[in-house]
Amino acid sequence: MKPFSLIRPASLDEARAAVTAAPEHVLRAGGVDLIDQMKEGLARPSALVELRTVSDAPALRELARDGDGAWSLGALVTLAQLAAASEFGAELAALREAAGSAATPSIRSMATLGGNLLQRPRCWYYRHAELVCLKKGGSHCLAINGDHRYHAILGGGPSWIVHPSTLASALLALDARVELAGAEARALPIAELFVGPKEDATREHRLAPGEILTRVTIPAAAPGQRSAYEAVKEKQSHDWPLAEVAVNVTVESGTIKAARVALGHVAPIPWRAEAAEAALVGQQPSAALIERAAAAATEGAKPLKRNAYKIPLTRGLVRATLHRALEVASPA
Amino acid sequence: MAGADTRHTLTLGFEGALKKVSVATPPGEPRPWDADTKTQVVGEAVPRVDGHLKTSGAAKYTHDINLPDMQHALVLRSPHACAVIKSIDIKAAENAPGVSACVALAKASDRVLFVGQDVAAVAAATPEAAREALARIQVEYEKQPFVVALEKAMQDDAPLVHTTAVKERRTEGDEPGAGGGAKARGNIRPAPSMKKGDAKRGLRQAKVTHEAVYTTQVHTHTALETHSIVVRWDDAKQARMTVWCSTQSIFSVRGEMAEMFGLKPQDVHVITNFLGGGFGAKFGASAPGSRLGFIAGELARLSKKPVSLLLDRREEHTCTGNRPDSHQRVTLGATEGGALTAIHVVGHGSAGIGTGAGIGRNAFGIYTKCPNILVESADVFTHAGPGTAFRAPGHPQGAFGIESALNELAAKLGLDPLELRIAHNEHPVRRRQFELGRDAFQWADKRRRAADQRGRNTRMRTGVGVAASIWGDFGRAKAASVTVTVTPNGGVEVRNGVQDIGTGIGTVMAQVAAEVLRRPLSTVTVKIGDSELGSSVGSGGSQTTSSVTPAVRNAAEQVKARLIALAAEALEAPAAKITWGEGGVASARKGKSIEFAALCKKIKGESISESATRPQTYGSHPMKFLGSPLYQIAGVQFAEVEVDTWTGVARARKVLAIHDCGRVMNELTLRSQINGGVILGTGYALMEQRVMDGRSGVMLNANLESYKCLGARDVPEIEVLLTEVHVGNNSTGAVGIGEPATIPTAAAIAGAVMDAIGAPVRALPITPDRVLTALGATS
Ligand SMILES: Cc1cc2nc3c(=O)[nH]c(=O)nc-3n(C[C@H](O)[C@H](O)[C@H](O)COP(=O)(O)OP(=O)(O)OC[C@H]3O[C@@H](n4cnc5c(N)ncnc54)[C@H](O)[C@@H]3O)c2cc1C
Ligand code: SF4
Repeated sequence: MKPFSLIRPASLDEARAAVTAAPEHVLRAGGVDLIDQMKEGLARPSALVELRTVSDAPALRELARDGDGAWSLGALVTLAQLAAASEFGAELAALREAAGSAATPSIRSMATLGGNLLQRPRCWYYRHAELVCLKKGGSHCLAINGDHRYHAILGGGPSWIVHPSTLASALLALDARVELAGAEARALPIAELFVGPKEDATREHRLAPGEILTRVTIPAAAPGQRSAYEAVKEKQSHDWPLAEVAVNVTVESGTIKAARVALGHVAPIPWRAEAAEAALVGQQPSAALIERAAAAATEGAKPLKRNAYKIPLTRGLVRATLHRALEVASPA
Repeated sequence: MAGADTRHTLTLGFEGALKKVSVATPPGEPRPWDADTKTQVVGEAVPRVDGHLKTSGAAKYTHDINLPDMQHALVLRSPHACAVIKSIDIKAAENAPGVSACVALAKASDRVLFVGQDVAAVAAATPEAAREALARIQVEYEKQPFVVALEKAMQDDAPLVHTTAVKERRTEGDEPGAGGGAKARGNIRPAPSMKKGDAKRGLRQAKVTHEAVYTTQVHTHTALETHSIVVRWDDAKQARMTVWCSTQSIFSVRGEMAEMFGLKPQDVHVITNFLGGGFGAKFGASAPGSRLGFIAGELARLSKKPVSLLLDRREEHTCTGNRPDSHQRVTLGATEGGALTAIHVVGHGSAGIGTGAGIGRNAFGIYTKCPNILVESADVFTHAGPGTAFRAPGHPQGAFGIESALNELAAKLGLDPLELRIAHNEHPVRRRQFELGRDAFQWADKRRRAADQRGRNTRMRTGVGVAASIWGDFGRAKAASVTVTVTPNGGVEVRNGVQDIGTGIGTVMAQVAAEVLRRPLSTVTVKIGDSELGSSVGSGGSQTTSSVTPAVRNAAEQVKARLIALAAEALEAPAAKITWGEGGVASARKGKSIEFAALCKKIKGESISESATRPQTYGSHPMKFLGSPLYQIAGVQFAEVEVDTWTGVARARKVLAIHDCGRVMNELTLRSQINGGVILGTGYALMEQRVMDGRSGVMLNANLESYKCLGARDVPEIEVLLTEVHVGNNSTGAVGIGEPATIPTAAAIAGAVMDAIGAPVRALPITPDRVLTALGATS
């Protein structure tokens, strides 16, 4: 690892100034992904700017609901805090479950909400220090003709990564917004935070240099709103999902009024399964409906040679998760 | 001591099948422990004597060694899967800040054969300085075509891996008798076949046949402690060295370091106080794919400073050995009634640039009722790091092939796969194990439940499978020299240069000495892990306990004899009249006795100390089975899985492991070995696999994130049943368990998956993609 200096700013402005001072100055939140990248030689910052020493921005650490029922989640809130948030009701179950499912207990107590959304992909070509692919400025994607068992089936090309953030799937289903502090403060729907490879294969998010993600907001829940998250993993401890889904449904008098189905680890960005949502809205929950919606979840999938298995896997996952969220008994 | 053999009539065999056997032992041997021997400490579930050192962090591993002025070594490794080195220049690294020595490990015109091969190495004051220096080494490569996939390497037009004859690398971890090869054709080098009867004819006679290809993955050892070695030259003339090494064979490190540096073995002092696992990859001074001993020794010689070389996880995965993959075409023939007429296996496997990709003795040695068996195998060379012995070399692969094929044949015949096995196994202990498991595991009920779930096409399915293991008694004669010492203050010390690979051998040694001297375990200290403590065996071939504990017993018996002589003197009675009682109280006939403490005070000089070894296995193995020249350890495992047919995730819920290991020396460490074997086997069944990129030749998952070892939540409930066998082979009756415990696990799990989903998965590991494909969901 290249030697670096550690900058410990006291204020958000100082932090922004330190990060913009030189291109090799990088913000560190939990440091889980960053230190990994530094060890692998993928990132070689000359200075790390500690977000955790900033003390003038309480929003960074808050986990609170306002009078209208909207939630504000600070960028420095850890995955462990989200996983243990007993104040989250059924409507935020997907976020709690997602946070509790990601990584391992020790990682969850370091990893932050902001860092989780902004982490780099796990594509094993990208992570290999000696390989140079499109994402690292090379001429082409090495996964297309390589081993892409874990890669995208939806929205892929010219890079076929899957977006790594588990929280992103849940937050996309929950219609969250992100707030950014920069030259000018701005807020975006979370879907707009992410950059697909067709637009720019070398990045995954839209933050400008020096911009800091300060918090995530989630609108107040509607009556009858419930959410759920599930993932399929090859290994049940310490593994990344093969696919994950967060569903957010509002059921009123026996009818599905609203539905959001967000898929993770199947596409280069957190992916709205709009056809599945359309299949659900206005219908009455039933096993047959769920089967139809699950089948629609992968509509438009274009798998590569070796990852078509993710289509039935994702459908099965969506099906199981909808059964739970809609409280429809699973077939034996 | 010269003299004639002594004959003993021993009670040997296993519960319900004990018999009297006459066994001749060489002069000086005590009467061997047999079924009538009632031990008090040996066999008990004694916790490891050094457990607290490990859990508290006080145990020092090679990675923890920190010597004054110690330098840190790093190795520059080939980034290419095949290339000729055009030029190599290490000057700039030699002059880099902090660098104390630099050595080229390849020269111009050398051909590198895999990504990760040694090219050069540096030693520097800090690891960071060493890394910066490595980057300054200039190497020019001319890339050549390469092949990393087994099936591609077998094609006629595949790039040739070796252009010259290949030397076979064998270690103490390899199964004795395996290996030895004919001339290579292309990248394929046939190994000797195992043959009985005429398999071709047997197949012609068959009414029902089954043929399919079964494949297994490359599996890396992934010991928690990576390969590591620290070398210090002890004198200015550089005639003596001390080596701290994470090794499973201290004396092979000593021998190889001595040979490499032109020293006498006794001038090389090797220390392995603690060792974080080896599984077969840690024999000798070098790793199978990297000359670690030479690198550290040479850098220490050049720099005149101690040098520490600790591999990182990537290096550990790529150049320190692996379990080769396999491609097995299995053909079975049977009568309509289900009598096997033929077993024919054609196995190919790749140990990368190395040899030894056989498929074990499972297809040949277990279902021996079959009259015609032919098992052919061949090594296929690929441009990848060399394979090496890995916990039961070849066997888990072979077990998966033959056992899976038997399951499919049984399905075709409409037979219970367990009954098919029982009908063709001739080993009496294994038969008992199959029958025990059938009841204990509720095999028939669970099979019915699986059939019912399949019939109703349920989402979640359960299923059960069974498989067997075969291993031998490879206990070695005169290899371990153990010293037992009793001091005037009553302390007992047991000394031997064996390393503890993690099995708890030191604890078992203490138990044996305590047993013989009838002293409390707490008064026995054990010193191991150091070449100055007496020669010993490597921890491989499941032979440590059977090679070392008889030597402990023999030395302790000799010490006891001397203590009895001392007691005879003190009690003024003939030695033959002295009895040795509980606590080490020596009594003469007339009720005169002397306490152990008082007796020890009478020791003249510093101590009573005796060293002993063990002889060849008695006679021609008193309890050999089935015409095998040696005792065969039997084992069977039953597995239960749960499969989610919606997502393809298969999870192992329960494994019942039924094993024999000779005499049970310590029930706790034994169970721990079996647990470890099952855990390793479950990971092999469901997730572990090396993934190579065909285009660059690199290993894509050389880490612990996407190379997936079983995690805590993935571990099945493990139940162990022991079928102890008294073999009368050596003075303690110990045989071994390390390897047998992992052989059948993956095969049993694969059988359970087939039972659950009604279709075979013919490739390991059984990941969701393969389950979904077997279910027809991906087409
Ligand atoms: C074995 C393993 C398994 C894992 N499994 C999962 C999983 O299943 N799901 C999952 O989602 N993740 C998983 N992770 C990844 C882990 O959750 C992320 O690495 C972690 O959440 C990153 O958060 P951090 O706070 O440590 O980010 P850091 O490493 O500190 O930062 C990551 C990046 O974001 C930038 N950054 C951080 N905070 C801000 C901010 N507020 N504003 C602007 N920029 C910022 C940093 O500059 C850096 O570039 C796994 C990791 C491991 C090692
Ligand atoms: S998927 Fe993206 S990151 Fe991976 S090799 Fe292709 S371009 Fe690179």
